[in-house]
Amino acid sequence: MFALDLRSRAPIYEQLVEKTRDLIINNVLKPDEQLPTVRDLASELTINPNTIQKAYRELERQGYIYSIPGRGNFVMPAPTENNAARLQALSKQLTRAAAEMHYLGMTITEIATLIEKTFSNDKGGQADDRG
Amino acid sequence: MIEVEQVSKHFEQIEALHDVTMQVRKGSIYGLVGSNGAGKTTLLKILAGLYRQDSGAVRVDAEPIYENNEVKARLVFISDNLYWFLNFTVEDMANFYRSIYSRWDQERYSKLGAAFEIDPRCRLKTLSKGMQRQVAFWLGLSLTPDILILDEPLDGLDPVMRQKVKNLIVQDVAAREMTVLISSHNLRDLEGICDQIGILHHGQMLIQKDLDDLQAGLHKIQAAFSGGIPEALLQEEPVLSWGSRNGVLTFIARGSHEEIVRQMQAYGPALLDVLPLTLEEIFIYEMGENGYDIKSILY
Repeated sequence: MFALDLRSRAPIYEQLVEKTRDLIINNVLKPDEQLPTVRDLASELTINPNTIQKAYRELERQGYIYSIPGRGNFVMPAPTENNAARLQALSKQLTRAAAEMHYLGMTITEIATLIEKTFSNDKGGQADDRG
Repeated sequence: MIEVEQVSKHFEQIEALHDVTMQVRKGSIYGLVGSNGAGKTTLLKILAGLYRQDSGAVRVDAEPIYENNEVKARLVFISDNLYWFLNFTVEDMANFYRSIYSRWDQERYSKLGAAFEIDPRCRLKTLSKGMQRQVAFWLGLSLTPDILILDEPLDGLDPVMRQKVKNLIVQDVAAREMTVLISSHNLRDLEGICDQIGILHHGQMLIQKDLDDLQAGLHKIQAAFSGGIPEALLQEEPVLSWGSRNGVLTFIARGSHEEIVRQMQAYGPALLDVLPLTLEEIFIYEMGENGYDIKSILY
């Protein structure tokens, strides 16, 4: 279910947190679905079980998953975390990408259109597209 | 739980270990790294009960290890120089171990045989170095140890076998809370599976930490400034290592990611990258701080 990049600089436990979070946000892992056990994931990815345990604890702290003692870890229906920090990081990435696109010759309107299109695709097109 | 308290060891005039203290938690995979001749093998042999320390204490679950058969029955040490009765076949060796160790698991031995694909009727002396090492793991894991001590364990194994052996170790840690102590030069090998790291240098323990804490505390920063590097930045502490090329400044600093980004933003960099360090880089910088510099070798 995951592929980790062992050559990446990012610590493995951070990669685990990020990948799992992506799967939850993109609805690949459904609410209340059980996550793989620490033991299964350790043997699947050949990484330290303690690292996986730590990643699960962090996901729980951030409100993406919940654990039931003796049964395992499950996807939390709606993340309860205060998303401010994550949003700030993402805004920075977006600003950076937009700046580069502008530098390479895209107009601001084109960039804005691109962002709008991302969401109209998502909802299968807006009813009102006069503007 | 393995505890080492202020252990020292001399070989005639040479001091191999000086006042080494370390703890390995149960169910942890501890990576022991160090410069050549740092004392890694000596430390592992003391932990396996092969050498006796000159001073200090070594305890496994609060029991001393030296000449203690009960603790040794739960411990497997795979040395970097394997020792076999060379005319024995794999099967003979398995029978030998079974007769000595009470925890030998015959079922596991048969199961692992499938993973290694070595004919148990082969004489050990006819096997290559890498295959002999595989046999060592095969027999070692069949003893279902609580503690596995490995000296340069992956040397001589091909990439597929490395992965397979690491996988078997991880499975035993997950299933039975086996405690593992690994020494290695190949830091990349350790990065995936270790959760604790100890760095040994000239017989002394320089650092001992959780790998995540070690990585979280150090960052590599690349920054470029449109108007030249600000003077004030060069005065900043604590910074480990500097370098600049074509107006791009590269340095290693201690601190959390957020902290460094906030500090750097104050100087208004045109470009800023804050990257976690790889274990290899950490090793090089920590050793550099302790006077074991690459430069002195290169120039």
